[in-house]
Amino acid sequence: MKISMSLFGTAAAMALLAGQAQADVSIMYADWLADLVEPGIEAYEQATGETVDAIKLPGEGYVERVALDLASGTAADVIQMDSFVVSELASAGYTMNLNDALAGWDQYPSYMSGLTEVVSYDGGVYALPTDTDVRMLWYSVPVMEKAGIALPWEPKSWDDILDAARQIQEKTGIEDAFLLPVGTKRGEATTMQGFYMALLGADVPEAGRNRLRDWDAGKWVGDSPAIRRTLELYKTIYIDEKLGTQATNYATDVDSTIRQGLREGTMGIVASGSWENSCIWDCSGGSELSQSERDGMVNWSEWPGSGLEGTMETTNISGGWAIGLNENASDKDAAFGLLTTIFDQGNFEDWTVTNGRMAVRTDISGGDAYQSDPFLARATPLAANTTGRDTFPGYQIVSALVQQMTADILEGLSVDEAVEEYHAALVDEFGEDNVITYE
Amino acid sequence: MSLRNDTKPWLSGGFGLVILASIPAVLFVGALIFFTVWVVTFSFTDLSLVGAKSVNWSWIGFDNYERLFTRRGFMESLWVTVSFTFFSAIVGQSLLGFLLASVMRALRGPLRGFIEVAIMLGWLLPDIVAAFLWSATTAENGLINSVVLGPLGFDSVNFLNEFAFPVVVVANVWKGTAWSYLLFSAALDSVPRDVIEAAQVDGATWWQRTRRVTLPMIKSHIGTNTLFITIWTFTYFPLVYAMTGGGPGRQTKVLSIFMYEQSFKIGKLGYGSAISVAMLLVVGLLAVFYVRLLKEPE
Repeated sequence: MKISMSLFGTAAAMALLAGQAQADVSIMYADWLADLVEPGIEAYEQATGETVDAIKLPGEGYVERVALDLASGTAADVIQMDSFVVSELASAGYTMNLNDALAGWDQYPSYMSGLTEVVSYDGGVYALPTDTDVRMLWYSVPVMEKAGIALPWEPKSWDDILDAARQIQEKTGIEDAFLLPVGTKRGEATTMQGFYMALLGADVPEAGRNRLRDWDAGKWVGDSPAIRRTLELYKTIYIDEKLGTQATNYATDVDSTIRQGLREGTMGIVASGSWENSCIWDCSGGSELSQSERDGMVNWSEWPGSGLEGTMETTNISGGWAIGLNENASDKDAAFGLLTTIFDQGNFEDWTVTNGRMAVRTDISGGDAYQSDPFLARATPLAANTTGRDTFPGYQIVSALVQQMTADILEGLSVDEAVEEYHAALVDEFGEDNVITYE
Repeated sequence: MSLRNDTKPWLSGGFGLVILASIPAVLFVGALIFFTVWVVTFSFTDLSLVGAKSVNWSWIGFDNYERLFTRRGFMESLWVTVSFTFFSAIVGQSLLGFLLASVMRALRGPLRGFIEVAIMLGWLLPDIVAAFLWSATTAENGLINSVVLGPLGFDSVNFLNEFAFPVVVVANVWKGTAWSYLLFSAALDSVPRDVIEAAQVDGATWWQRTRRVTLPMIKSHIGTNTLFITIWTFTYFPLVYAMTGGGPGRQTKVLSIFMYEQSFKIGKLGYGSAISVAMLLVVGLLAVFYVRLLKEPE
C-alpha cells in the first residue's frame, strides 16, 4: 500500500510538472530584449488564450546557447538570434524559411529590403530583424575637457584618435584612454566594434582589400595590408604605448565596467555602437536623464578612416538582432502568430523609440515619435554610409579567428606571426582554394 | 538466532527487484560510456556546431590531433593548465591545507570555529560570486589598492592587467583550500597521539616529528588529496573564465577554456572533442602516476 501511495504521489508530481511545461508555444530571448518580447507575449496570450513558455536568458553567451540548443534539438519554437548567425543556422536546416508565411502578413512590406537581406539565406528570409545599428567612438566629455581637447571632438584619422588618447593619459592619468575591443572574451564586439571598424578604413574600398571576405572572388581574405595595419593599430594601443588596458577587455562583467567608466569619467574614448545611447545609462531605456544631459556627460563622434590616401573618410558597419522560428517547432502557425504579435507596429514602435534603436521598418522610421528623437535624428544618417557583416556560412568561425588574432597581439606575437596563424587556421577550415591573399 | 538472519533486506525480495534497482546504475554507466565514445568518435571528424558541417560532417582521420601540436593554442594552454594546477592545487591548496590542519589541531575554542568557518566560506561560495569578489578586490579601485596600497602611498596597481595568472592562482587557493584542510584534519586525527608523544620524548623536534612520523603515516591521504585536486583543477573552468575569460592574451587560458572556445565560440566540435580526449589522457596518466605512487611496497 505504501508503495502504491508513493507511486501515486510520483505520478501526480510528474503530471503537475508536465502540465507546467506543456505550453502551446515557447520562445527564448536575451534579457535585454524583454521590453520588446514580453508585451508581445502578453498580447498573444490575451488574444489567443494560449500559454507561452518564455525562456529569458542572460545576454552573455546567448549566441552560443542558441546554437547549442538548436543543434541538440532542445531549442524553443521562437528564437531571438544575432543576425550574423542567421545564415549559419539556416544552412544547417535548423531554422524555418518564412517566405510563405510572410507573404500573408500585411506589415511585412514595411521592412527595409536591405535589412531583410541580412537575415536571408539562399533566397529565403529566415528571421525578422529587431533593429539595426551603427558604430561610433563614445567619449567622456569631462575627460576630454580635462585633457584640453576641443569639443565637439571630430577625429579625421587614426592619428587623431591616438593623439587624443595620448593627451588624455598625459593630462588625466587615465589608463583606459582609448578602448578598442580586443580578444576572445568580448566575442563579436571585438570583430564588429573593434577590428572591422578599423579594417574598413585601413585600405581602399576595392573588392576584399578592406574586408574579411572578397565577395567577387568568393574567398575569405587570409592576409592583406588592411589586416596588417589594423593589427598594428592594436599593437600601438595595447603593447607599444599602452593607451588602453588589456584587462578591461577581460573583466568579469566587461560591458558594465566600460559603461560605468564612461559614466563616471574614468575612461576616455570607447569604440562601441548606437545602443550605448541608452545602455550607458540603462539598457531598458529607463534613464531619467534628457538627451542633452546625457550628451553633456558622454558624447560620440564618427569613426574616421586611417587617413591613408584613397581610404574612406569615415567607416561604419551595421549588425543587429532578429527573431526567427525553429524548423522543428511543434505548432508553426502558433509560433508565427507569436512572432507577428511581438512585431506588431504599436509594440515594436514603442520599443524602438524608447530604446533609441535604429528602425528596420519604414512605418516606424517615418513616424513622428522616431523623427522627433534627437539621438535617432543624429545617428540615422550614419547608416547611409554603412556596410554589413560578411554573413556567408562560415562567418562565425572567421569572426572567432579574428578575435583570436587580436588576442595573439596581446600575447606579444608580432603582426607577421599573428597573420600567419590566422591564415593557417582559415586554410584548415575552408581549404587553400577558398582563402585569398592581398599584397 | 542472529540479527543477520532475522533481517530480510527488501532488495533480496526477488531477482526482478534487483534488476529494477540496478537500472539507475546501468543508465549512469551507460551514459558515461556513451558520451566518452561520442567524444572519441567525433574527434576524428570536422563536425561543427552550426553551418553545413553540423549536418554533413566528414571523417578527417588524425587531422584534429595533428593540429593540437602544429597550431598555436593547445600546447600553450597545456602549459598554463599544468602551471595553474601545480601552483594553485598541489603547492597552494595542499600545503596551506596541511599547515592549517596542523596548526588548528593545537587550537581550541571559538577562534578555531571562526577560522574554520572562514576557510569553509571560500569553498561554499559559488564560483561566479567568488570571481566577482576577487575582481573587485584586485581592481584598480578595489580593496587592495584603496585599503592597503593607497594609504601606504603606493601607486594603484591593476592586478588583473599586470598579474593575471598569479591572481587567479591565489583566488583558486583561497577557493579550494577547505577540501585539503578537511582531509588533512581527518588524517591527522588518525595519527595515534602516543606515537607523536614517544617521538617527542625521544627529543625529536616539530619538523622531525612531522617529516619522519606524521607525513609517512598520512601518506595515503596525501596521495588521495593530490589525486582529487589535480583532477578537479586540471579541468576547472568557472572561476578562471568569469575572472579573466582566459586573458589577457592567453595568460590564463587553461585547457577547459580553450576547449570551450574552440567548441562553442568557434563551433569546431570535432577539434573540441580532440582537445577533450587529450585532456582525458593527460588526467588519466596523472591518475595512474598517483595511484602507483600510493601503492605500498611489497
